[in-house]
Amino acid sequence: MRAGGAVLAALALLTLPFWLTSPYYVHVTIMAGIFTILALSLNLLLGYTGQLSLGHAAFFGIGAYTSALLALKLEWPFWIGLPAAALAAGLAGWAIGRLALKVRGAYFVLVTISFAGVISLVSVNWMELTNGPLGLPGVPAPELAGLSFRTKSAYYYLVLLAAAVAYLVCHRLVHSRLGRAFLALRENEALAESVGVDPVRTLVLAAVVSAALAGVAGSLYAHYTRFVSPEVFLFSYTVTMVIMVVAGGKGTLLGPVVGALLFTVLPEALREAMAWQWQMLAYGVLLVVLVYFLPRGIVPAVSAWRR
Amino acid sequence: MSKRRWSLLFAALAVGAFLAPAGFAQAPIKIGVIEPLSGPVAASGNYVRMGAEIARDWINAKGGVNGRKVELVIEDNKSDPKEAASAAEKLIVRDKVPAIMGAWGSSMTLAAMPKLEEYGVPMVVETSSAASVTKRGNPWIFRISPPSEMEALGLEQYVDKLGAKKVDFLAVNTDWGRGSIQAFGDMLKKKGVEVGAAEMMEQSATDMNAQITKIKSTGGDTLFLTTAVEQITLVLKQSQEQRLTRKVITTGGSSSPTQLIKQAGAAAEGSYHIVFFMPWFPEAMPDGKLAKAFVDEWAKRGFPFEGLTEGFRGHDGIATIAEAIKIAGKDEPKAIQAALWKVSFTGVNGPIKFEKDGPAGKESGQSKPSIFVVQIKDGKVALPDFLAKK
Amino acid sequence: MDALLQHLVNGLVLGGTYALLGIGLTLIFGLMNLVNFAHGEFYTLGAYLTFAGLALSGLNFFVALALAIVLGAVAGAACERLLLAPLRGQSIDTTMLVMIGLWIALQNGELLVWGGVAKSIPHPFPTAPFTLGPVSIAPLRVFVVVTALALIVAAWLLIQRTRLGRAMRATFQDRETAALMGVKIGRIHTVTFAFGSALAAAAGALLGPVFLAYPSMGDLASLKAFSVVILGGLGNLPGATLGGLILGVTEELGAGYVSSGYRDAVGFVIIILVLLLRPSGLFARAERIG
Repeated sequence: MRAGGAVLAALALLTLPFWLTSPYYVHVTIMAGIFTILALSLNLLLGYTGQLSLGHAAFFGIGAYTSALLALKLEWPFWIGLPAAALAAGLAGWAIGRLALKVRGAYFVLVTISFAGVISLVSVNWMELTNGPLGLPGVPAPELAGLSFRTKSAYYYLVLLAAAVAYLVCHRLVHSRLGRAFLALRENEALAESVGVDPVRTLVLAAVVSAALAGVAGSLYAHYTRFVSPEVFLFSYTVTMVIMVVAGGKGTLLGPVVGALLFTVLPEALREAMAWQWQMLAYGVLLVVLVYFLPRGIVPAVSAWRR
Repeated sequence: MSKRRWSLLFAALAVGAFLAPAGFAQAPIKIGVIEPLSGPVAASGNYVRMGAEIARDWINAKGGVNGRKVELVIEDNKSDPKEAASAAEKLIVRDKVPAIMGAWGSSMTLAAMPKLEEYGVPMVVETSSAASVTKRGNPWIFRISPPSEMEALGLEQYVDKLGAKKVDFLAVNTDWGRGSIQAFGDMLKKKGVEVGAAEMMEQSATDMNAQITKIKSTGGDTLFLTTAVEQITLVLKQSQEQRLTRKVITTGGSSSPTQLIKQAGAAAEGSYHIVFFMPWFPEAMPDGKLAKAFVDEWAKRGFPFEGLTEGFRGHDGIATIAEAIKIAGKDEPKAIQAALWKVSFTGVNGPIKFEKDGPAGKESGQSKPSIFVVQIKDGKVALPDFLAKK
Repeated sequence: MDALLQHLVNGLVLGGTYALLGIGLTLIFGLMNLVNFAHGEFYTLGAYLTFAGLALSGLNFFVALALAIVLGAVAGAACERLLLAPLRGQSIDTTMLVMIGLWIALQNGELLVWGGVAKSIPHPFPTAPFTLGPVSIAPLRVFVVVTALALIVAAWLLIQRTRLGRAMRATFQDRETAALMGVKIGRIHTVTFAFGSALAAAAGALLGPVFLAYPSMGDLASLKAFSVVILGGLGNLPGATLGGLILGVTEELGAGYVSSGYRDAVGFVIIILVLLLRPSGLFARAERIG
């Protein structure tokens, strides 16, 4: 991306709360930021290693619950909760990686769905830990040296920072030797193996990083909405993430960012544009149309068009 | 007059007519509504919406509130707490509503509650049953629906007449179902009734045969059922198939006995239902005339009869907010909040007046709704057999 | 002991319906390598079409069922021609995304058309259950299981004994060779998708009267169908049938003896275990159709 455009975008993002005055719009941007981290994390698995994980909401939810429970039950601050969430989710990612990556393709998809399903049922039924369907209300907002992140602007900067870090992590990873191993595995696993890439180890690593990032997003979500319930494990969250990555352009770094922004803003825009009866129908139709005309995603289409 | 003059006159009249609609000189009062209009409980959310629309039309027909028309801004929370919070934010910030009614499910209401405190906007809760809604110390919450504990208390007087000695529970695996098991279980134990099995079913489950088989073997004589009307239909039908013979009581008020009769047929015979509105005998409600008018208006609009047992909530919620705005004299959130404490009128369900509930200094408002028990006898809804003529 | 027998019967009846859901999907998944998220929507469509036929047009029950199945096939074919064929070269994720979009659009379309209230579908069978000792089973359910098995057998015969079935199997095994031998690949795709969707619609038409018809009924059905496909092995019809029965029985026993709250977890755990221990499915000798 050309440097001028990048600088402009960065300036716009850094000053956003000043020119985007409606708190509702800032709210939408915060949610877009959280979903950007999620989309980036899913992209690592889906876009770069070519493994479709449809249980990603599980890592998101594990992160959210870990952070919320630590804050509510042990009164640990958010700054410990966040890395703890990443750790817990990363651990789950490791477990899934080790178990599921014995199989590939469609089977891997189904294991991930099943894993998410089991975790979801545990969160609903294990009342003593998660309070079940009643959820965990009152998750505190982060505080740093007396300054509370309760206000939208403050939280926006927090999420912006986290998203930027997530992007950088993915960028470094993808352009490293490990990243090249990912791509090699995606293109031709047998060949990659023959040149010394250990598929299981590499994929597990991708799963761990991917899950940890999703856990971070979960923690940010929990302390922003201040209410965590088993609905975080809803399949629709995973579906939304997949839409963001694939429609944005999987296997690119900017794709998930564009996708996250677009598909966070879209439902809210539909809320404004039409009566409630038509919103979801329009969403489905728009999705089909988008994929039909831009099957590789938005970012690759734009790059191709610019060439 | 010249042709030019006539045209000018007409133009002026047209502009005038456009600018001064129907005698309402000022901007309308907007009330936000957050309900699940899509997803698994779309039917219930839509019934509440329909009731709200009737309330709005009646209010406007009588001249509005403080001379201003009432307008409902309706948002779909898609049965997702995250969407409920987003909808609340949009309603408050973009549409600038001074009050909201919502959000049906307890977890949706709980998710929206921080937004109410953030912006200082009151919300009238019309359906949620979790105790935590009014116990969390949120002074912007005013609930007109009964928490499960209140419901259980409402049934307490009939427990002996029912003759239940050992009770099993089958509930939907949500805050509502679990809360119900807890509340009714506690109440029954206090009355010396034994509690047997407590089985759960997923919200979207359609096959409950396993749970029914299990319940069959407990030796209980009564089954408390808490879930939405579709699942109740399935449980009743499957119970009939497995020849489960015991008294069935549904709780929560969403059981729509009329729909059960239609869809479960003979399987629903003899079952008891806790409801908060009796559209089959509206004259028996605290304000019989209002209740009858509501039933008639609902029918006139072609809405399904079975939706009445939930639709009234929408009406009472909007009526409560309108009443508060009338008392406050203006549509300003803080004034409405203060006014809600002064509200005392009779809605379709009965008297609505808020009492303090929750931690001191930050109490929420909780009204004491009327609770009724009906029974399905000979394919019709009737007063329960254990009640002598009222 | 009584309860156990009843649980087993419950499980087998449930399993029969899971099997019907699964065989349509295993064909689509197996042949077209398509993660068909809209499969549940054809199931829902079958139920609503039956409702429309019975309640709105007053057709005979069996005619309405048959019509729903036929229309399900037509809808499937249309879907394949319009949405999937143009995207055939694309990756699995792209087609999957289209199916997701279709899923959302169809479900919300149904919500718009029929409303969110569940519809009861009338049927001509008596409601009093058959009783064999301690076990009860409703006549409607017997009909459903018998019909489901009949449809499964018919599907198997079509795959194994007809030219069309041979062409499908050939395409599945080796697309290029099949094309060289004169098989019209495009047609096979359309037919397979239509066939799989018809089977899903059949499941919906049969189960609609047992349960109720409502817009989101397909979501859980989809998930169960995927479990069945895994259990039986991609493209394996007898495998999917047995897989469905196993899923039904284990779920039923799990709910009855372990915990009803974790009932759906049984299906998930099965998937995980099978994929870890025997990834090609319990019954597959090799991945194949038929």
